[in-house]
Amino acid sequence: MRILGTAALALNRIWATKVRSLLTMLGVVIGVAAIVALTSIVDGASQGINKSLATLGTNQLNITAMAPDSLTELDAKALAALDNVSVMFVQTQNQGTIATQDSRVNARLVGVSSQYFEAVKPAIALGSYLSSSAYASGSKDVVFGADAANDLGITKELLGNTVKLNGQDFRLVGVLDDQTGFGTSGRVYVTVESARKLFSQYPYVSSIVIQANTPEQVDTLQLQADLLLRQRHGLGAETTARYTITNQASLIAAVGSITATLGLLLTGIAAISLLVGGIGIMNIMLVSVRERTREIGVRRAIGAKQSNILIQFLIEAIVLSLAGGVVGLIFGEIAAFFLAVLGDWVFSVRLDTVLLALGFSLLVGVVFGVWPARQAAKLEPIDALRFE
Amino acid sequence: MADEVVRLDKVRRDYLVGEQVTTALGGVDLVIERGEFVAIVGPSGSGKSTMMNLIGCLDRPSAGSVKISGDSTSELSDNKLTELRSKAIGFVFQQFQLLPNTTAIENVMAPLLYQGKSTKEARKLATQMLTQLGLGDRLNFDRNRLSGGQQQRVAIARALVTGPDIVLADEPTGALDSKTGAAVIELLKELHREGRTIVLITHDLEIAASAPRRVFLRDGLIERDERGVS
Repeated sequence: MRILGTAALALNRIWATKVRSLLTMLGVVIGVAAIVALTSIVDGASQGINKSLATLGTNQLNITAMAPDSLTELDAKALAALDNVSVMFVQTQNQGTIATQDSRVNARLVGVSSQYFEAVKPAIALGSYLSSSAYASGSKDVVFGADAANDLGITKELLGNTVKLNGQDFRLVGVLDDQTGFGTSGRVYVTVESARKLFSQYPYVSSIVIQANTPEQVDTLQLQADLLLRQRHGLGAETTARYTITNQASLIAAVGSITATLGLLLTGIAAISLLVGGIGIMNIMLVSVRERTREIGVRRAIGAKQSNILIQFLIEAIVLSLAGGVVGLIFGEIAAFFLAVLGDWVFSVRLDTVLLALGFSLLVGVVFGVWPARQAAKLEPIDALRFE
Repeated sequence: MADEVVRLDKVRRDYLVGEQVTTALGGVDLVIERGEFVAIVGPSGSGKSTMMNLIGCLDRPSAGSVKISGDSTSELSDNKLTELRSKAIGFVFQQFQLLPNTTAIENVMAPLLYQGKSTKEARKLATQMLTQLGLGDRLNFDRNRLSGGQQQRVAIARALVTGPDIVLADEPTGALDSKTGAAVIELLKELHREGRTIVLITHDLEIAASAPRRVFLRDGLIERDERGVS
């Protein structure tokens, strides 16, 4: 008897016991839907984080002061003089207030050096970045981050007008479109020189970012930068520095390993639910074999070989499991779609997810179907026919 | 030598029930030739079911030999025995034993499909057979929509469709009212007249009387082997 005919027989039987089949499939449906939805969450989340990190550039080293006076502008100049450094900028920041004539809110005031915008390239909603002439002439210009602009109710009409930062007059030249950005919201950007007038008369900086020419040079540059700073600050190799150097690439790697671990964890959970689903299928197949003992006897009597019976029951288990897999896949993708809308990441049906889901449900059907099918095939025809 | 379709030589069949050995057949010789209509008659416990299982290639003897269409069943693997059964035997059961969730024609197609015939050919042969038995208008009825007599005719069609050497009918009228039962016996007689070999297993002497040869079993032995009109 051909496989196709046997598959038709299995479908027939599953259709004849609709409710039971549906309930049996449920375990696999939930397992597969969980796998699909969860992988899409991990995918989407790491997509988002990596995008944010990538906009900062993968060749970067962030040197962050752990105390207000641990890094200076002179340190930054010395670092810029190192080999293989292509871009360098400094940030100095503090809490402060921003105000229009109508309202006043708290924000983080960030002083950035002229290379900042060129290096980070944040998206701009209105106006422009801080201009080079602002740096040259020392004029007090300000660029708002999206959240700060929202908080203060900045509109297009205010562009070019005066806003107050810590009570001082600044000219609003631009608003960033950085809502999906990474840590740029709730901030306003001014030149380092203006920042010093706002909150720090000393030439201390809160962070220095240097960028290597190529990604391969990042690790070497990190060692060189650390060595240089230790020399400048008179620190021995073993002394704990009052700054930290973080490597953008290692940050991405760390995020990657976190998502990998998370993915593994979720796959583990999904695997458990598939296991439970598989046991459900095995259970119902064993019940089915018992219920249909006579049918098996009759089939053997009219010429079915053990292999025919084995294949019949195995295919039935596989069809159950695979149907569960298909339904689970559909539900999982629907869930993934809504999660993508909620989480604001790109939804896509990935071929490997589809193959994984179907492959797993096929495997579950085979693994948990074999034993009941063997039980069915091994029945003695005379015992099976006599079975009440 | 006449064409022997069944040959039993000193056939014993012992069963182990718990620790007790029960003898169902205690050394039986029987020859059935092609074209015969034989009733195997006996009360329950006489060994007639065991006889049916042995002739039907569902079981093997504990001792002695069973030859069906010339092949000795004790030497065959399960697969070969199934092939022999598929080729040589057509079963008609007491409770019809139509397959669940299948239509009349699917039931009749099943043995052909197990023989490896294509669906198309199986459908053709099954349609012919059912039409021949007057069920041409019931091909796609499932068993719930067939009367007892119709179900038994489907079962007979299923037994005949492979052109077996022996039609083995186990209490074929047991689940039918007497009128329908009589019609089924008439059908078996007619099949016999067409030249088929019929082996009828029954406890009912009246039914057995319709067969030209009657083998009486008691306590696992052949008590009498009668021929002619009783």
